[in-house]
Amino acid sequence: MTSGGLEVVCERVSFAYEEGRQPVPALADVDFRVGAGERVALLGPTGSGKSTLLQVVRGLLRPDGGSVRLGDLAPDDTGYGELQRQIGLVFQQPELQLFAATARDDVAYGPRQLGWSEEDVETATAEALATVGLDPAEHGPRHPYSLSGGEQRRLALAGVLAMRPRVLLLDEPFVSLDPPARRDLSQVLHSLMARGMGLVLATHDVDRAWALCDRRVVLAAGRVVAAGTWDLGSGGERVLGEYGLEVPFLVDLWSRLGRPLATTPRSAREAAEMLA
Amino acid sequence: MRATVAQYYPGISLVHRFDPRCKVVAVAVLVVALFVRDGFAALAVFAAVGVAGLALSRVPLAWVWRALRPVLWLMALTFVLQALFGPGDEFWSVGPLHVSRRGLEQAAFLSVRLIVIVVIGSLLTFTTSPIALTDALAWLGRPLRRLRVPTEELALMATIALRFIPTLFEETDTIMRAQRARGADFSRGGPVRRARALLPVLVPLFVMSFRRADDLALAMEARCYTPGVARTRLHPMQARPRDALLLLLVAATIVAAMLV
Amino acid sequence: MGVAIPLIRLRGLRYRYGGAGADALDGLDLDVEAGEFLVVVGRNGSGKSTLARLLGGLDRPTAAGEAIVAGHDITTPDGRLAARRDVGVLFQNPENQLVGATVEEDVAFGLENLALPQREIRDRVDGMLTAFGLDDLRTRQPHLLSGGQKQRTALAGVLAIPRLALVLDEPTAMLDPAGRRDVLAAVSGQWRDGLTIVYVTQEMDEVALGTRVLAVDAGRAIFSGTPAELFGDTAAVERLGLGLPPAAEVAVALAELGRPLRNVPLSAAELVGELSDAQAGDAR
Repeated sequence: MTSGGLEVVCERVSFAYEEGRQPVPALADVDFRVGAGERVALLGPTGSGKSTLLQVVRGLLRPDGGSVRLGDLAPDDTGYGELQRQIGLVFQQPELQLFAATARDDVAYGPRQLGWSEEDVETATAEALATVGLDPAEHGPRHPYSLSGGEQRRLALAGVLAMRPRVLLLDEPFVSLDPPARRDLSQVLHSLMARGMGLVLATHDVDRAWALCDRRVVLAAGRVVAAGTWDLGSGGERVLGEYGLEVPFLVDLWSRLGRPLATTPRSAREAAEMLA
Repeated sequence: MRATVAQYYPGISLVHRFDPRCKVVAVAVLVVALFVRDGFAALAVFAAVGVAGLALSRVPLAWVWRALRPVLWLMALTFVLQALFGPGDEFWSVGPLHVSRRGLEQAAFLSVRLIVIVVIGSLLTFTTSPIALTDALAWLGRPLRRLRVPTEELALMATIALRFIPTLFEETDTIMRAQRARGADFSRGGPVRRARALLPVLVPLFVMSFRRADDLALAMEARCYTPGVARTRLHPMQARPRDALLLLLVAATIVAAMLV
Repeated sequence: MGVAIPLIRLRGLRYRYGGAGADALDGLDLDVEAGEFLVVVGRNGSGKSTLARLLGGLDRPTAAGEAIVAGHDITTPDGRLAARRDVGVLFQNPENQLVGATVEEDVAFGLENLALPQREIRDRVDGMLTAFGLDDLRTRQPHLLSGGQKQRTALAGVLAIPRLALVLDEPTAMLDPAGRRDVLAAVSGQWRDGLTIVYVTQEMDEVALGTRVLAVDAGRAIFSGTPAELFGDTAAVERLGLGLPPAAEVAVALAELGRPLRNVPLSAAELVGELSDAQAGDAR
């Protein structure tokens, strides 16, 4: 179990789904990079290819064109598969995938599949539960469906964290959560960030993306339409509007106040401090 | 391959536009006749009708081929079994296996008949949408209502189930990938091991399906669905003069098959 | 001028799931006037979804002092059946509401259930498809639709039956911003045409859509008033398990730093306005 971040570089990745009579293109010539420990937001409307890209990175789908480099390794290099297994991918509405009789067993599934010793599985499971704010003693023995919606989502995240990933890919993690649950999940992600975990956050919730990520890549119809740090120049992230997304609230606010966008705060608290 | 169910190929050919009830009856009658009437000559008549129907339906050959392909295995098996174990004087043998002229003839006949049956049956499924098919069967099955069989409700259930098949396929795909991301391996081991490996897929699928059933029932009630109450239709079935023509054609085919 | 009879009148509404356990609704009181756009908020488990179902006549109240919806007593089976006809309900999951094999078949479903003549079904369906921008999707199969398109189809299907009121239970929770905008635009359009709306949501920036907001907690109605009044009471927001629209979050943070604004802003524009008012106030 190596620690430390993992760099992921997608070069000209293309992918089409086999569906019915014709292949359905999902990604076309996508260049995408997340450095070790970096936090990148993958923005785009539904159908833009975000989920597909995450699954290609993780190796669940094989690209039709282009390649995904992990660390120093190319797809044909030995050890590449091992690196793929060190990428954590949390699907949309992951609580739909809970299947075990107890919360603990569901979290333990991943580590067990990796072939770890029972002792390591035990430790990893307890750690993962604690990381997401669930108590191993209290929540561990409970049936997953007896937990609240927000708790179930965090449980599913624990299932991925238990495998000690070096970079975490999240597909729309905030969808369908009530505000308290969103806050809880945000806190968990912030604590992971603080530990240096690399993060790719695929979402259409630009405000969460703004709060958590330094860079963003915008996808539309399978193509990259913008990439890099947030556009705080004169553009003011107008590109987002063109693709059906919203500009982050704080960026919009700063723009309306006529303040230099480079100083835009990352949180309501920060904004208040700057405005007081 | 998955997106279409029962191989329906949408179109506006004459065959597509026949009343589905008449098509069901026509196909049923032709298939029964095929079994009743022996002989290559009769078989040729039915085959001609099948091929003509396919041509009229404008369904692309590639589509037809994809539907027929699985049956070819069955046909080959039938042929071999019949050839080897059919009655008659042997004229060729290898070791313990005997082949007779009559056996070969039987084998050929049965195999070709199988193909013709599949072609005629496919004419129905290629040109009739699953809903139309369900409606037709529900209408034809109306007498069963006297035996307390809820044909209307069953037809609606079938239609809804069909509508969700592509969705279920997608969801199964997604769950499998999600669990693979957690190290699940669905390809290793013998049947027992593989079955157990599928638990992380089956449990969520079942749970989702039950939740879906609950949600759907509520949504249907919110739109005033009441089981047992007669419903009208946006696209009611309407028999037209051309359907009488179809039935006449079927009758003519059978007469011709009897006479050759 | 006489006093208008409320379209919905609930007193002491109770609902308990079969068997033991806490009551999902524990004596809820509510009046909704015709033409209102009522937004209902509350944490998960507060009873808001149960309320939505009962308003649609889809479930039997355990008890009630009074429970009149669109003139029907929903404590009686006949009243509930009638309420189902006059009150439409749109749910959160777009996928699990569509039963038709195509968009137009699904929109027709409700009308077919009412055994209307085919000509009338055809006309209503055509009207709904056009009203909700679904003409091009008429023969599309549901699994090929986007989330927003599915939800619009479901909405068209619900409203194909002429309704007096529409109840929506978190209809945009699973949609992306474009899908959400489409659904909200459609709902607002219906409201402007005179339909009474009860809109349950967890999205705090949707609260401003309503003429009034109702906060529900532990099966009771706790607060009724304007969004600004609700979000101005931070203690209540916390207690009720709600969130704040981003503009209000900034205002609350400012208040904590000792620089409160006069009014609670619900949008960036309002916040900018409040900030300049505050500055003007300081200058004086």
